[in-house]
Amino acid sequence: MPAAEDLPTLLSRVALRDRAAFERLYRATCAHLLGVAFRILNNRDRAEEVLQEAFMNVWHGAGGYNPAVASPMTWLINIVRNKAIDTVRSRKTERNSTVTLDDEGMDVAADETLQPQQLLDDSLTKVQIDRCMSELNASQRQALALAYYRGMVHTDIAVALNAPLGTAKAWVRRGLDKLKSCLEAAGVSA
Amino acid sequence: MNYLVPERLDRLAREYVLGTLTGRARRRFERVLKQTPVANVAVSSWQERFSVLAAGVPAMQPREAVWSGLEQRLFPASAPEKSAAGPLQWLWNLLSARALGGALAGIFLCVVVLRMQPGLIGLEPQADTLPASYVGLLTDAAGRPTVLASSRRHGEQLTVKVLQPVNVPAGRVAQLWAFPADAPPFPVAVLPPLPAKGSVTLTLPATSEKLFSNVGRLGISLEASPAGPGDAPSGELVLSGHCVKLW
Repeated sequence: MPAAEDLPTLLSRVALRDRAAFERLYRATCAHLLGVAFRILNNRDRAEEVLQEAFMNVWHGAGGYNPAVASPMTWLINIVRNKAIDTVRSRKTERNSTVTLDDEGMDVAADETLQPQQLLDDSLTKVQIDRCMSELNASQRQALALAYYRGMVHTDIAVALNAPLGTAKAWVRRGLDKLKSCLEAAGVSA
Repeated sequence: MNYLVPERLDRLAREYVLGTLTGRARRRFERVLKQTPVANVAVSSWQERFSVLAAGVPAMQPREAVWSGLEQRLFPASAPEKSAAGPLQWLWNLLSARALGGALAGIFLCVVVLRMQPGLIGLEPQADTLPASYVGLLTDAAGRPTVLASSRRHGEQLTVKVLQPVNVPAGRVAQLWAFPADAPPFPVAVLPPLPAKGSVTLTLPATSEKLFSNVGRLGISLEASPAGPGDAPSGELVLSGHCVKLW
């Protein structure tokens, strides 16, 4: 996470079309944001395209940022994540209409369940809610991790975890309930 | 559906931010968001909560091309050049290293297309192709295009077009130098007295092809006397620029 720069001030100056502030904002946040995009897209070139598109939006939309509502990093992550999810879903639609699932597709699916789980564990440890969240079972944690880090929808999660759709939905719901209560208990977030 | 029941609103907001709210339900909720401040508050709270999950994602440094591409897309007019734009800025852009590949590819394509299809622009083939030439655009210290030097590939004449006046003090000569890619610079010729604007022509010691085939840059220095073989510029170059093959 960037620490050295005063991100709210930089964003307010970007809203006034300050190009130097825009570059400082980019330099301070780009590595973290590319990491977020890369987890969803699993492809460096596409993740960098998404990052560039996201910062186009930041330049044009910085005036709409409200520091009373969200921290700058939250606002930026949200832009990047939404763009990455849009990209991954439009590519999926493309793939589904052109190729059938083959061995390669199965390999990707197998990997998809492991790495997000690790990211979830690392993140929860960082904000010290790992113990509270450990009350979730493995499937509930995996379902939450696949939705957040891979941008998967319920049907994808059901396929990846080999569960009925209703069960996958319930796992995500349970994961979200728990995330909220753990954060509230720890006084970490909104 | 009543979206303002707090529990229902909270559930929709979190699935919306997470991305698992899809299709028509997502579009309906987006309409609610536009009209309902309390829905926006719920969404913001969940965005803040989810940002916690990004804490453990390893950072990944983007390649510098992402930033330079961003600059070019957002600020296309001013990004590539630091010098003030002169009347021939477009030509300098054309000849700059960054644009050179594209420009030459474009010229090449035009030449090929017009050779194959001369009727396309209603001209005879001889009239519409650029002759194979060496071209150098020399700029001053401030980056202003000052002299355009050009010569046919197999010719021995060099045309020097003066775009901005060149000040050559009394007792000095303007010496043109060539800078090959892999060898020391060599003197090409002394320029005749230059007009404030217009062209002069001088004779080269050999054909352009022989002299310039491996030359990437040209420069002009002010010397006390014409340079001989083996000499190097005695002082700073007052003008310099890329030398390119135009074919």
